[in-house]
Amino acid sequence: MRVFKYDQMTQRRLNRRRFLFFSAIFGLTSLATWFMADLLWREGISGLEIVLLGLFVVLFAHIAAGFCTALVGFYVLNRGGDNCRISETLSPNDDSPLASTAIVMPVFNEDVSRVFEGLRVIFRSVQETKKLEHFDFFILSDSNRPNQWIQEEVAWVELCKQVGGFGKIFYRKRRHQINKKSGNVADFLRRWGKNYRYMVVLDADSIMTGRALVRLTALMEQNPQVGIIQTAPRIVHGESLYARLQSFANRLYSPLFLAGLNYWQQHEGNYWGHNAIIRIQPFIDHCALPDLPGSEPFGGRILSHDFVEAALMRRAGWGVWLAGEIEGSFEEGPPTLIESAKRDRRWCQGNMQHAWLLTARGFRPANRFHLLMGVMAYASSPLWLLFLALSTIHVFGLVAQPPLAGVLRAQDMTSIFGFMIEVPEALTLFFFTLLLLFLPKVVSVVLTLGNPEAVGRFGGRLRLVVSAILETAASALLAPVNMMFNAKFVLFTLLGQGVGWVTQQRGADDDGSDWREAIITHGGQTAFGVIWGLSSYIISPPFFWWLSPVLAGLVFSIPISIFLSKASFGRRARELGVFLTPEETHPPYELKRLQQNLAECYRHLPPFEPLRANYGLMQAVLDPYVNAMHVALLRQRRPSDEAREWFGLLRRRLLAEGPGKFTSKETMALLLDAESMIWLHRELWSSPSDAIAEWWRLAIRQYNVLTSAPTTALYR
Amino acid sequence: MSAPALVTFSGEFRPSTGSMEAWNAAYVRVEDYLRAHRVHNRLHQSRLIQEILERAARRHLAQPESDPTTLAAEETEALMDAWFGAVLSSENLPPERRAIEGRVALMLCDGSEKWPYAFLDDKNIPADFRAAVEASSMQAGPDMVVSSMVPRPIDLGPITEAAGDTLERFEQWPILRTLLLWLVFAGALAGIFYATR
Repeated sequence: MRVFKYDQMTQRRLNRRRFLFFSAIFGLTSLATWFMADLLWREGISGLEIVLLGLFVVLFAHIAAGFCTALVGFYVLNRGGDNCRISETLSPNDDSPLASTAIVMPVFNEDVSRVFEGLRVIFRSVQETKKLEHFDFFILSDSNRPNQWIQEEVAWVELCKQVGGFGKIFYRKRRHQINKKSGNVADFLRRWGKNYRYMVVLDADSIMTGRALVRLTALMEQNPQVGIIQTAPRIVHGESLYARLQSFANRLYSPLFLAGLNYWQQHEGNYWGHNAIIRIQPFIDHCALPDLPGSEPFGGRILSHDFVEAALMRRAGWGVWLAGEIEGSFEEGPPTLIESAKRDRRWCQGNMQHAWLLTARGFRPANRFHLLMGVMAYASSPLWLLFLALSTIHVFGLVAQPPLAGVLRAQDMTSIFGFMIEVPEALTLFFFTLLLLFLPKVVSVVLTLGNPEAVGRFGGRLRLVVSAILETAASALLAPVNMMFNAKFVLFTLLGQGVGWVTQQRGADDDGSDWREAIITHGGQTAFGVIWGLSSYIISPPFFWWLSPVLAGLVFSIPISIFLSKASFGRRARELGVFLTPEETHPPYELKRLQQNLAECYRHLPPFEPLRANYGLMQAVLDPYVNAMHVALLRQRRPSDEAREWFGLLRRRLLAEGPGKFTSKETMALLLDAESMIWLHRELWSSPSDAIAEWWRLAIRQYNVLTSAPTTALYR
Repeated sequence: MSAPALVTFSGEFRPSTGSMEAWNAAYVRVEDYLRAHRVHNRLHQSRLIQEILERAARRHLAQPESDPTTLAAEETEALMDAWFGAVLSSENLPPERRAIEGRVALMLCDGSEKWPYAFLDDKNIPADFRAAVEASSMQAGPDMVVSSMVPRPIDLGPITEAAGDTLERFEQWPILRTLLLWLVFAGALAGIFYATR
């Protein structure tokens, strides 16, 4: 084993790596700009063409950055891997000392079964490493739906009882959800941060194996100058075709990009918000986030906190590493294109805010680059749209104007340093761009094909190649749709507006997006594509064919979105061996166990329909154990006389009328008041039937006859 | 073969006040409440119901205006308070908190299921049951060790600071903001107009 020592990576060596990386981006962009300038500059250059050229430079540089990362990754992997990786500081079987570590999982109205079954799997996996004594687990809830909250409490108690987790697994519910996820983590740190040296932040859908957690902790102990180690979570458990596509792409292509990123970033990596270990004390000292100038959505509270926290850690001198090679880190992706766009809507706003921080004093250049790439991930979409729109206008202008005699036409010739080649200039540029976009995918496939074991894990050679071709086709169709989504999000963010969404239908068949939702979401894109396509065809049919890959995605966005969202198609594809990933063909024990446990959970009948909407409140009032547990978890407070009077009215109304007309806020207020919860439990059970609402009578009747052997909520 | 002996009732309990419907309703309510406590042992359950209803009936004699369901519920609660008091070392707790602590402890040790005859029986409290209840505790979080985590301002650099100041000023003057938006829109229109000439 090669042991990596920090002195091997001198600043000089790192600078050389970065010089090569950024020079490659610069070189490729320069070459492409040459072609583009030549294409535009045959008969002089107009103002429009200068704008087009400027946009092209920015957009091409963005593509080139991705390509160069993959290219460097290929170089690194081809040499057998980089010896300058954080994981190289520890041998795989090294039984290094560990330190107290908190595994924190902030949750907000998530699927409770998924959260707690995930935690159970992680807990058991850590237990199996026999290092459990170093780890504590925290569910940090910001859930503001009554049902969700009570379900979380019940699930927490039940989990602790089953795994012997009291004193190891903790549950914290914030009364006020200040600053969302980052505020939730900060609240944890203020209360209990001093008890731990490290924390591992997980998302609600994260899974990390015990081995991965132990290794991360050992790596932190081994490297006292490191502040954050970020793992690269694999996307797993995709059911729909869309989710399986993402999962396959992530699994096949990411090794190349991860290796490339680590090559030039080294200790100046990034933090992605979850599946990462953090050294707590410096995080407390340096990473409390201030507000940005102005108000939301562009200013105000920092929404995407992770990149900024990495930058602040670096500014304070702590290393931030990417450890893409650590196995056993997983997350789940959005199941549909529409769900993915909803997530992008949130991320877009957060990433756009990072524009404020690009020139912040004390930030390292590498962090500025991460922030810029985050901004460009979304800002590039409206720029692409603008570029395409201006290109269309430009073509219209060329068509309207007859070509000057004696001038070489760009559509016939390519000019390189004055030499003319009889290949259309645009075609040269087109293939050059395609090369940059698709070569990393081809290289990833070729690299995988060279490793028989890896090929087997992707389902074999033929399936791997077919899957990669289909994924490439699908991503080409999805790119313009995502461009339109992101362009809209950026525009709305800049105008200070939110974006309205149709609530996703999760109907009886539970099989993806419904047509209504898809038509409302993609209708504008389809109309845009049709109008754009028709006008292009009328004015210049050749230009229409140039645009056709973009137009196809837009025009067919509705059926594409529906098709990709179907779990049945996803399952069928899996049966055919398409988009298989190593996690599907050889699932790790933890993922298998999670699936089994969840299947068991979802087999239970949902609560009786008339009671379903307020089932959490019903449990908390009716069930003696849930009521006691809930009250025991509440903080004792002394409300004012006015508040006492208001609560008195509210709880009498609840018993007399039932919860049907209660707002979520009123229900939450009652659930937060211990005195009211004790009173409600006592009064409900002691009131004659005719003194309580029909809803409560039904609740009492149903609660004890749902199964032949009466059970309470804690066993449902 | 000798004939079976006639059934003889051990007690003479028959509520002398209140309607049969009201006592049936009280019976059902107590039964439901015990089932909600996971007292699934029917024999033990019926003994408890009778004991509770007898107590309620005695009170009903003195308070005929009270509903038997309410009285039965109050008697159940009183019995529970006394029993939790005997099982838990909870003299310092107010009665309503005693029931809360007691039920939590009972839930955590699965007391109703593991000791099916113990529930509300303060004369026979099994030692292992008492130990299990005493050992049961639910800790939502470890002891707090408060840290200070105060946001520090980030120096955004001169360009960004100036942009921030300008934006904040714009936010204070909505008319100026609208005018600027119109100007951008008009500029874009003019640009497209010029480009398409």
